[in-house]
Amino acid sequence: MKKSLLILLVLLLFLTFVTGCGNKEQEKGELNLYTWDGMFPPEILEGFEKETGYKINFSHFDYDEDMLAKLEETEGGDYDLVIADDYIIEVVIAEGLSQKLDTSKLKNYEQYNPVFMSQFYDPKNEYTVPYAAGIPLIVYNPAATDVEIKGYEDLWNPGLEDNVALIANYRVINGITLKTLGESFNTENLDTIKKAGEKLLQLAPNVRVINDSNTQDFILSGEVAAGFFYSSQVVAAKMANADLKIVYPEEGLGFGIMASFIPSKAPNAEAAYAFLDYINKPENAAKCYEYVGYYCANKGAEDLISAEMKDFLVLPADAAAGEIIQNVSAEAEQLHSEVWSQFRNACE
Amino acid sequence: MAKQSQGRKVKEAKGNRLLVLPIYIFTLLFVGLPFVYLFLLSFLKRAEVWGVDFTFTLENYKRIFSPMYLGNFADSLKLAFTSTICITLLGYPYGYIMARMNKQWKKRMLLLILIPFFTSAIIRLYGWIIVFRSNGVLDKILMGLGLTEKPLKLLYTYPAVVVGMIYALLPFMILAVYSSAEKLDYRLVEASRDLGASSWKAFWTVSFPLTLPGLLSGVVLTFVPSMGLFFIADLLGGNKIVLVGNVIQEQMTKGRNQPFAAALSVVLLILTWLILKLYRNIAGTSELEGIF
Repeated sequence: MKKSLLILLVLLLFLTFVTGCGNKEQEKGELNLYTWDGMFPPEILEGFEKETGYKINFSHFDYDEDMLAKLEETEGGDYDLVIADDYIIEVVIAEGLSQKLDTSKLKNYEQYNPVFMSQFYDPKNEYTVPYAAGIPLIVYNPAATDVEIKGYEDLWNPGLEDNVALIANYRVINGITLKTLGESFNTENLDTIKKAGEKLLQLAPNVRVINDSNTQDFILSGEVAAGFFYSSQVVAAKMANADLKIVYPEEGLGFGIMASFIPSKAPNAEAAYAFLDYINKPENAAKCYEYVGYYCANKGAEDLISAEMKDFLVLPADAAAGEIIQNVSAEAEQLHSEVWSQFRNACE
Repeated sequence: MAKQSQGRKVKEAKGNRLLVLPIYIFTLLFVGLPFVYLFLLSFLKRAEVWGVDFTFTLENYKRIFSPMYLGNFADSLKLAFTSTICITLLGYPYGYIMARMNKQWKKRMLLLILIPFFTSAIIRLYGWIIVFRSNGVLDKILMGLGLTEKPLKLLYTYPAVVVGMIYALLPFMILAVYSSAEKLDYRLVEASRDLGASSWKAFWTVSFPLTLPGLLSGVVLTFVPSMGLFFIADLLGGNKIVLVGNVIQEQMTKGRNQPFAAALSVVLLILTWLILKLYRNIAGTSELEGIF
């Protein structure tokens, strides 16, 4: 009895604390693709395999940081193509974990929207091509609240008590607070960040939930009346409930770019070029954007996106005034994380 | 003859020692070394953008003793206390009564605790989300019965997190108490009843002290993990309840401050060690009932 109890307990501990992870071996003739889950519609992945004969070996990560750790561990090997966020790509390039792109091998290179290129992480476009852009936006349900929302500032409205959902990205949330004070997302002035921190504390009574994934559920299930979410989630919410309103906050947008790069020791770089070519054909790109719900970085695809989704996937002309959220100094970053912890403590 | 068998015993003992050697090596490699790494890491600085700067600093520990992070430790302890008390109130009777049942029922009761564990912990927590969410199962039942008029907004509150903790950790308490109560010689209770003790008194003076080691070990097994189960606070608390586990996870990933995460882990380990020491002093043994 005792022994079986021991085994049971060990099993329980195991089942409680272990979360799965896995990594597949690569072979010749394969494309080792490494990005978030759900970045491509199945028809695109299958279509690529059929057209080119490469077999896709798709590995996922949840956080950019996991991806970086993996690349460091394999010293830029194992994967042929990685799609990740701008700020982490800056680190990847600095550590020499990515290789320069031979743009002559990319057939549809001119399709990439220059608005999303030449950014801080790769000013000369030597290592990356953009895949898509995300802009966190406000979405709200006019039926569930009397407050009319025009900008970030309105989230502080006492009428929204216990009725707001936020993403869990502190650079973004602290950033919109900075925006309400007329400051930049990327300020490194510690006093300014502190001032924003004090203002953020006043948002606490309105916050019902802070979460990064599937946030559209919060507003669709009626858990909250208003949310500040990643654009893919805003689009998902709007597609499920057309009565919701999307707000492009008047204080100014902050956006992030997801870009593709080829790791320095990619086992099959040719496969990566072939895949980039394939997804950058305007008709294929349009399918990708409709599926992921991020902003289109392919000029040719803009006209091919279905009319009902076009509003959410093609960047409005006046929104280009947004700011890219970049890495800031270690002191500023640390203060941001402290401000955020203080805020979360104040929420409960 | 006697000498021969003695010689064999010595040989056997030596053979046994060789057999356990892999376990020692394993422990050294995968528990000892990582801890040394963690400890050293906690004295380094975070690099500007990514990784670690190899300069010695006590800054990480100084930061932990700022009111904000001490507050996180206090919150974690508070939540651990609350959950442990609830778990004890539920788990002790369950384990005790289970041990008093016949073999058939013992098996059934045990199965009832274990079946949920065949599903992933995260999925089971999502089950609670469905129950607690606005207009969820619980709201529908309460409103259907006419007990409440509008959604209660139970999800993303402190009580929701406590329920999640209880749900995740209750089996550890039940099994620990059960293993202790199973060994209880019930004739002692019968004797005290024969000598005129009320059933209450017999329980408090005989059964309870004899099952105390199991109870205490259950307390340790639930108290210690409940300080670190960050995903429960994330999913059911809507990220608003910040436990030490959450801070460590965040500093490790989004915060990109591994040394500070390491320092927090070291302090959490010390706290855990203190709790085990306390247990040892109260229970008079270093063995955890139900495990060793």
